[in-house]
Amino acid sequence: MTAADQTPARPRGFWAEAWSRYRRMPLAMAALAFVGLLGAIAILAPVIAGTKPVVCRYKERLYFPCLAYYHRAWEPVVFATDKFRGEYPRNLREKDPESWAVWPLVFQDPYRAVRADEWPGLPGNPARDEGRPSRRNLFGTTQAGVDVFAKMVHGTLVALLVGFVSMGIAATIGITVGALAGYFGGWVDAVVSRATEVVMCVPSLVLILALLAIVEKPTIWKMMAVLGLTGWTGISRLMRGEFLRLKSAEFVTAARAVGAGPGRIILRHVLPNALAPVMVPITFGIAAAILTESGLSFLGFGQPPPSASWGSLLNDARSNLKMWWLVFFPGLAIFLTVLAFNLVGEGLQQATDPRLREARK
Amino acid sequence: MAKASVRRHGMGHPEPPRDDERHSRPVPPMIHHLLRRLALGLVTLVLISFVVYGLIRSIPGTPLTVAVAQTDPSRRLNPADLERMKAAYGLDKPWHEAYFVWLGNVLRGDLGRSISRKAPVTQLIGERIGPTLALSAGSLLITWALSIPLGLYAAARSGTADERGVSLVLYMLYSVPTFVAALALQLVFSVWAEGKPWELPLFGMTSGLPHASTVAWLADVARHAILPLVCMTYVSLAWYSRFINTNLQEVLRQDYIRTARAKGAGPVRVLVHHAFRNTLIPLVTLLGLSLPALLGGSVIVEQIFTWPGMGRLFFESLRERDYPTIMGLTLLFSLLTLAGQLVADILYAWVDPRVSME
Repeated sequence: MTAADQTPARPRGFWAEAWSRYRRMPLAMAALAFVGLLGAIAILAPVIAGTKPVVCRYKERLYFPCLAYYHRAWEPVVFATDKFRGEYPRNLREKDPESWAVWPLVFQDPYRAVRADEWPGLPGNPARDEGRPSRRNLFGTTQAGVDVFAKMVHGTLVALLVGFVSMGIAATIGITVGALAGYFGGWVDAVVSRATEVVMCVPSLVLILALLAIVEKPTIWKMMAVLGLTGWTGISRLMRGEFLRLKSAEFVTAARAVGAGPGRIILRHVLPNALAPVMVPITFGIAAAILTESGLSFLGFGQPPPSASWGSLLNDARSNLKMWWLVFFPGLAIFLTVLAFNLVGEGLQQATDPRLREARK
Repeated sequence: MAKASVRRHGMGHPEPPRDDERHSRPVPPMIHHLLRRLALGLVTLVLISFVVYGLIRSIPGTPLTVAVAQTDPSRRLNPADLERMKAAYGLDKPWHEAYFVWLGNVLRGDLGRSISRKAPVTQLIGERIGPTLALSAGSLLITWALSIPLGLYAAARSGTADERGVSLVLYMLYSVPTFVAALALQLVFSVWAEGKPWELPLFGMTSGLPHASTVAWLADVARHAILPLVCMTYVSLAWYSRFINTNLQEVLRQDYIRTARAKGAGPVRVLVHHAFRNTLIPLVTLLGLSLPALLGGSVIVEQIFTWPGMGRLFFESLRERDYPTIMGLTLLFSLLTLAGQLVADILYAWVDPRVSME
């Protein structure tokens, strides 16, 4: 027997314990796996579908043109000066016969229709309502002939970014504001509570649309900022409640007696204990943010085209409902994503809520 | 926000309330609390209207320029006319001044006239309230009528395969976005069902043709209302039945349920008489909180089905920059939200004597 076996097992931390409980829920685990899959699709989108090579050797040098899908300025300058105009297969062959390239799995672009013979032997995308799902276009094409599969793969990144970044902003604001209000009380609490109430009572559509209109040209980043700035109220209220409850706890009094200042008490003693309950609304908030963004894109208030947002595909579907694939695939994607985040939130709630744990015994 | 604080006698689910407790509670704190809530609510209302007024006046475009841009450019106003019209509508003043003019008018009971529709705002709202109420009240009724039996059923059959199936379906319904459901319903019941007996109208509230009688008109409206009603109902149905089920599960674990079972009460009596009646308190609170949704309507559903309700009016006036209408609607929505919270708290204290208003 080794020494390590003899030492009594160190009590596991709160989160380790929560994780071990979470792991026993098959549905929540499946949802988490699905979120992981979405993350992989989002990050690998340019490798899965695109018209720019993942790696190519051109005039004795290696390039990664697919990076342009993440950020337009990352497209190697040489292809612009050599007048590729986005058509890589033909230009690579003609301008440097020695070149080679590794292509994305599906040769389709999320922002434009692929023309005939752009890829040797490949017909162009069908346009208008002709583009039902086929072997070439797995999920069909839009009115303009853009491949829906490519759009949706690239839209995954948009959806996840919207969910995580906007909820990140909302959580930061909500936690800070709620913690300050709960800990200090008094006039700080009065001001914060009023502000929270105002944001809660203003119809969220007015708030979001007005803020979007003020920033003009709503890019996806501005959309995230707006969603974050309007979505913090629930978190703030919950955080305030947790702080109100915990600030009179014995360990806080003990910390104060030892001479800890308010900053240290808030950050080191109360916050870690108050974080678990807000993780649940944050997860639900990610689902809600994805829903709101696709809803806004659907109503035509999203990022102006070309946009890869799932909601913009649904907006296309509105003008011609006969193109059922424009409803079915993006609708399914939004539904599954929202469902997955809701299930993760649910699992998190069951894994971290001590009341539910007691009830189970 | 001030909320009714919950004072529980002991831990766990408490025993049913006793009557003498209800009567012996002193009344003055309640009135004091209500007055405080009303005063705070007024402050919040003024703050909200101020913020919204500032926001909508900062959106590029005014009711005059947006309307003109939509018509042909040859009919564009000349600058002098534009200035004259701006002055007529009070748009020449900076927004914080214009806000106080608006506030003064509101205090005198005047919500102003819509700029783009050339009609009093109160009249516009009055026209739209009926269609919205038809949808939301209908949806609320269906939700309550279906979710209570569903919740009871799920609690009674808890853990069985059929209950798990139903609960999973409800949970999935809860995650279906309204606009996806609306498009899918339109696709199945209007586009694909064209010419078939189960075809339903794609949008609108009536088919626009003259009706022989009131009954025929009602039937036409009902046919148009089916799809929007389904869209407005399924999410709340899923949510409510889950809510009822969860509450019932918690109550069913209590000691007094075991007592009821032990003294020989049948499963139905235990579920309905002993358990369900004790879950009514949070349900009653929900009734108060659904007040704003009742009149606010659903922007997305009304927009997709071009239903002439409040949500659509709101969306259109936002697009037309029709400041008086937006403000009137915002005022109404915020008032309803605040009133709903207050009603919820009062109901809560009224049905549950253990709750005190402090």
